[in-house]
Amino acid sequence: MRWPPWRKVASRAGAYPGYVRGVWTWLRSHPREADLALAACIMLATYGQARADPLILVVGAALVATLPARRKYPVQAFAAALVVAAIQILLGLAPVGGYYAGGWQPSDADIAIAILLFSLAAHRSRRASLIGLGLCLVLSAVAVVRWGPAHPLMRTIATGGAQSVSPNGLALAAAGLLCSVCLTAWVLGDTVAYRQRVTYLAALEQRATRLEAERDAQARIAAAAERSRELQERRALAVEDGAARLRRIERDLHDGAQVRLAALALTLGEVKENLEAADHPDDDDQARTMMLITAAHRNAKETLVELRDLARGIHPAALDRGLDAALGVLAESSAVPVTLTVTITERPSAAIEAIAYFCAAELLANITKHSNATKATIAAADSGGELGMTVSDDGTGGARVVPGGGLHGLRERVQTVDGQLVVASPPGGPTTVTIRLPGHA
Amino acid sequence: MAGQQLPAGETAPSKPLRLRIVIAEDAAIMRDGLTQTLLRRGHVVVAAVADPAALLEAVAQHEPDVAVVDVRMPPTHTDEGLRAAREIRAGHPSVGVLVFSQYIEAQSAAELFAGYPAGVGYLLKDRVADVSDFIDAIGRVAQGGTVLDPEVVSRLLGASRKADALATLTAREREVLALIAEGRSNTAIAETLYITGGVVEKHIASIFAKLGLAPSDNDNRRVIAAIKYLES
Repeated sequence: MRWPPWRKVASRAGAYPGYVRGVWTWLRSHPREADLALAACIMLATYGQARADPLILVVGAALVATLPARRKYPVQAFAAALVVAAIQILLGLAPVGGYYAGGWQPSDADIAIAILLFSLAAHRSRRASLIGLGLCLVLSAVAVVRWGPAHPLMRTIATGGAQSVSPNGLALAAAGLLCSVCLTAWVLGDTVAYRQRVTYLAALEQRATRLEAERDAQARIAAAAERSRELQERRALAVEDGAARLRRIERDLHDGAQVRLAALALTLGEVKENLEAADHPDDDDQARTMMLITAAHRNAKETLVELRDLARGIHPAALDRGLDAALGVLAESSAVPVTLTVTITERPSAAIEAIAYFCAAELLANITKHSNATKATIAAADSGGELGMTVSDDGTGGARVVPGGGLHGLRERVQTVDGQLVVASPPGGPTTVTIRLPGHA
Repeated sequence: MAGQQLPAGETAPSKPLRLRIVIAEDAAIMRDGLTQTLLRRGHVVVAAVADPAALLEAVAQHEPDVAVVDVRMPPTHTDEGLRAAREIRAGHPSVGVLVFSQYIEAQSAAELFAGYPAGVGYLLKDRVADVSDFIDAIGRVAQGGTVLDPEVVSRLLGASRKADALATLTAREREVLALIAEGRSNTAIAETLYITGGVVEKHIASIFAKLGLAPSDNDNRRVIAAIKYLES
């Protein structure tokens, strides 16, 4: 707790001096201490009046004791105070003895009832507080009936300073006093409640607006997520479709052009051998035909090789048997010795296998061309539906991803399926390229 | 090396060979072309089929001297032929198997040659263009010989997995090793390289010494030793 409680706090321009606001702020933030202090003050005042009858102290204490509970249990505290007050009236306790004895008169502790009525009006429904007000007025009526000889102050109020006191005037004054106190307490409490209700309603309204805005935002997010999912699905379809189409082209080449060309080469080979067998070295025509056939035969064979390389670039046939087999083919034909480790439990989709394969092929080509490495390793493994592949070498390093470069092209290819490609290649080496791919596009 | 000619007539007997052959190739044009070519050379094509099931059936029925098998066949067009070839080798040891393929893979070769290496061959499909060499390869496989495509050999030699050991070989020894890996006999190697048989034997002893292999008098075991060594 900050001390002293009346310390200066930042005040609005033109408001009370700082320390007043300090005390006020402290009281607001310490309701229990405030109530205890209030109870103590009232009790102190009552103590001064209790010379005539010690019972007043007891009743006063009972009344004041309800004060600390007024915020949390306003109805119960009010009811308890009312009961105590009723007993006090019935007993006819009067704080000032002697001349004035012989009937009930309010003590300072009775102010607690007004405070509790205020609390009831402030913290509970208007219906409850109106019932409370009614009870207070009824009790006031009883009190007026039981009113004892007037206190000097009452006399002054009732008579306007005259010496003689008419009983009617006294009753009227007592009723006026009690009713005005009760009504004032109720009105004040009800005003507080009204203000709170207005604030509460405004807060509710604000909350509703905010909720609506939030709902709107959420709907927009959901729509965006739906769209994103849709796009992802469409992209996956496109990627897989692309891979399937390449495979089909390779298959068509294999079943069509390649096999026809091989058959043609076979026929040309036969023709050539027949010509060779029918040996007429003097025949110019035959020599010429022989030359042409030999050229055609050679062309057919060279085209077969070119076609094979082309088909392999489109879709390596070994991929049909899995990434394991395809990487094995890569490794066995690499100029730099490759240590290959493949642990794949669940085959990724064809498009993913193709991306991994072409990455490995390009990286091995880079290693051969640029790294001066003496050995390379390829490690591929899947875990949790993801495919990870690491290609490393013991070369001179310094590989960088530059726009338009080979590594950049690979990264773009990997990113088409939300994969990652990370290059670690300090100058002097070694180089490690790590690739992560989803299990399917 | 891929373009090198397979020398003809290495194992050609004095009288023409009349082999009983089963062809398995799913492309009709190639199947017919091969059949015609083999018929013209005096061989008998007992069956020409288009898928692995029919191939196994034909082999079981005819027990041919040799089966010529394409790697890619229905239904998946991946390595059906290779698997059928291994099945034939397991079930019909007397039947020679020549696998030919659009692509050559050392791994597939190693799988095919695994076990006992008699009567088996693995060639690139392009080799049919050099008709006599191809027919000759079929003949060698039929007689229990071994044929390995030069491309496999060059790839294995090109791959520097065993670069350190291979680097110690002389150019001549590399040539000899390549021919060994193709399944040639010492005589054939001597003819190809225009050297005497004694010199070939000297080279081979030197190669095996450098590669740490015990020499063997069996050609086929030499091939397998070479492949296994290069594949390791």
